[in-house]
Amino acid sequence: MDFSTITLSPAQEAFRDELREFLDSHLTEEVYARDRERKDNFDEDFYLALGSRGWLTPEWPKSEGGADLDEVCSVHLEQELERRRAPDYAAGTTRLVWIAVAQCGDPVLREELKPRVASGTARFCLGYTEPEGGSDIAAARTRAVRDGNDWIINGSKMFTTGAHYSQYVFLLVRTDSSLPKHRGLTMFLVPLNSDGVDIQPLHTLGDERTNITYYNDVRVSDRYRIGEVNNGWAVLHGPLDAEHSIGGDSMSVGATHMRPLYEALEATARWANENQASGGSTDDDPLFRSTLGRIIVHAEAGLATPGPMGRVKCTETAVSGARQLVDLVGPVAMLPFGTEGAVGDGEIEFAHRHAQATTIYGGSVEVFRSLIAESILKLPRPDFPGRKNL
Amino acid sequence: MGYDELRRYDYSLEEHQVALVKAFGDLFEKECPPAVVRASEGSGFAPDLWKRANHMGLTSMSIPASFGGDDSSLLDVALVAEHAGAVLAPVPLVSHVVACRALAWAGAPREVIDAALTGERIVTLALAPVTPAAKQLVPEAAIAGDVLAYEAGEFILHSGSPRKSVPNHAGSAVGWWSPSSSDHRLVLASGADADDLFRRACDEWKILMAASLVGLADRALSIGVEFSKTRKTMRVPIGSLQGVSFPLADGAIGVEGARNLVSRSAWMLENAPDDQPELPRIAFSYAREVAADVVATSVHVQGGLGVSLEADITMYFNRATAWPAPAGRISEDFAEIAAAFASRIR
Repeated sequence: MDFSTITLSPAQEAFRDELREFLDSHLTEEVYARDRERKDNFDEDFYLALGSRGWLTPEWPKSEGGADLDEVCSVHLEQELERRRAPDYAAGTTRLVWIAVAQCGDPVLREELKPRVASGTARFCLGYTEPEGGSDIAAARTRAVRDGNDWIINGSKMFTTGAHYSQYVFLLVRTDSSLPKHRGLTMFLVPLNSDGVDIQPLHTLGDERTNITYYNDVRVSDRYRIGEVNNGWAVLHGPLDAEHSIGGDSMSVGATHMRPLYEALEATARWANENQASGGSTDDDPLFRSTLGRIIVHAEAGLATPGPMGRVKCTETAVSGARQLVDLVGPVAMLPFGTEGAVGDGEIEFAHRHAQATTIYGGSVEVFRSLIAESILKLPRPDFPGRKNL
Repeated sequence: MGYDELRRYDYSLEEHQVALVKAFGDLFEKECPPAVVRASEGSGFAPDLWKRANHMGLTSMSIPASFGGDDSSLLDVALVAEHAGAVLAPVPLVSHVVACRALAWAGAPREVIDAALTGERIVTLALAPVTPAAKQLVPEAAIAGDVLAYEAGEFILHSGSPRKSVPNHAGSAVGWWSPSSSDHRLVLASGADADDLFRRACDEWKILMAASLVGLADRALSIGVEFSKTRKTMRVPIGSLQGVSFPLADGAIGVEGARNLVSRSAWMLENAPDDQPELPRIAFSYAREVAADVVATSVHVQGGLGVSLEADITMYFNRATAWPAPAGRISEDFAEIAAAFASRIR
């Protein structure tokens, strides 16, 4: 085991300085103000600027549009972007989808898209969930029917976050409804500027604007098919496992989701200290400390819990921790950003709202508990009528 | 907390740790079936098991070589403690190892350390600072003649006869103890040294107890899981029902996180003790909550059978909360953790 801090080499220090300078100059107050207004966690200018440095695909070689970063620099880059809440949401989904495109996509399409993924002009969003399906994404009813060298797609997808600033949606469609549920699926990378695509905004509790996308007789060339016909479930599994961090490293896959809680914990500690200095109560109050300490312990546990298990622990700690902070700090905790007297400029209020969706997106915690029960505890699978068939 | 730190998070075992875990794991599984635990419930002690474990170097492994030990790490002992916890081994591993390490650092007389290293002379630790008039429940005091205690700025080795065993929830060798119980009193350190020694010993006790609780919880979970695979209701195994499987999945989530916190806190205490000094309390308080949750789940999963004293799970249930109790309230650890967290933020 090894939990030592990593000492940066001179080259890594130079990267850190370059990054700091870049972020200071690009993440201006205007960028944040715009993001607060749009609530979609994306700024195209900033995204393209990242791409111009090769930082959207940091570990790719420079010759392919990457930055040749080593693992330490890549982790640092990711941490810094997350810490500063950089509006770069498309990077994550694009990276996930690229796993499948690189493995199973048409070679010509692949060569065409690769430099654009790196530069930031090709962005991908996920088209899995449907209005009827929730986390049971294999129940997809959106259909694609072959028409010569094209496919005609009809249906709708929920929570296609980033569709309004992406160029392609990685679409899960049913190509054969006579086959068992998981076997009749095919993946496509559908250009979002195709005729018949309609994107409608859906605003959320956690300021994460998402979309409902409708597909009405959308004609797509067969070159946009990713992987074999009716083999979509296997194709999807590369990105899905990466999203669920199955077989991944020891870091909790839910860490990012719990970040606002951590900011709120810091804001609370700071507030308690200031409050005390101005003659208020709290910081030395054992009850206050004890309650705060319990949230810290569970947040630490979340970060220490690996893989899909950490996903459950982090998101549920985010939910319960934020609620407890609201109670601990009192009515001022409910004041949002920009309001007089808001604690940590609204960090607690934000964390409380933001946490709710984290137990759902990317697969609900129930999906993960089922996965833990079946794959880790080896408990017998429940037999639901719709498990294998539509 | 590791959000903006560039730190390694490598939980993989080293080769010698794999061997160590295998050797002690085999010993505890083989020599400590539930019948041994039941037979020891009056005394809280299985002397044969203790002897065998010490033949394999249980006590001496983590003692500095200059005192006749094998110089291995607290983390190594924690890995072993997890396996002892899994079978509820009635041996004073946690208190005795922690006390022996403290004796070595405090420069206790060589003959005391020598006798303690073989496990023949059992030493324990009073986990609360001593107040002259008050007695306290000290773990293993019913089998240990030597008690390390902190009193008015001094770290003291009290020697005498083991106390009378006290019937208790865990069937453990806890005993009522006060300084007046001792025949001999040897001041090992005073002032800041005494503070440091006592604080360090308490931190180590918490880490090793947390490790034991991880083992206890892991095994308690397995008992519940196995039961739910075979027990049927309406012709399906109850483990296929989400009302049963989800609480068990939560148990697995808790055990994994607690295990990692124990490992990291043990490593950090020896390699970077000032980076996050509250880590032992974090690992300990979380392991306590997890163990208490898991045993309750596992009792419940087994329904009426789970509360019958014939069921092994009841032994796990009793120990999950009683073992760590002498180290004080969880809420007090929480308060200290928050104070340490806040001190880094201002």
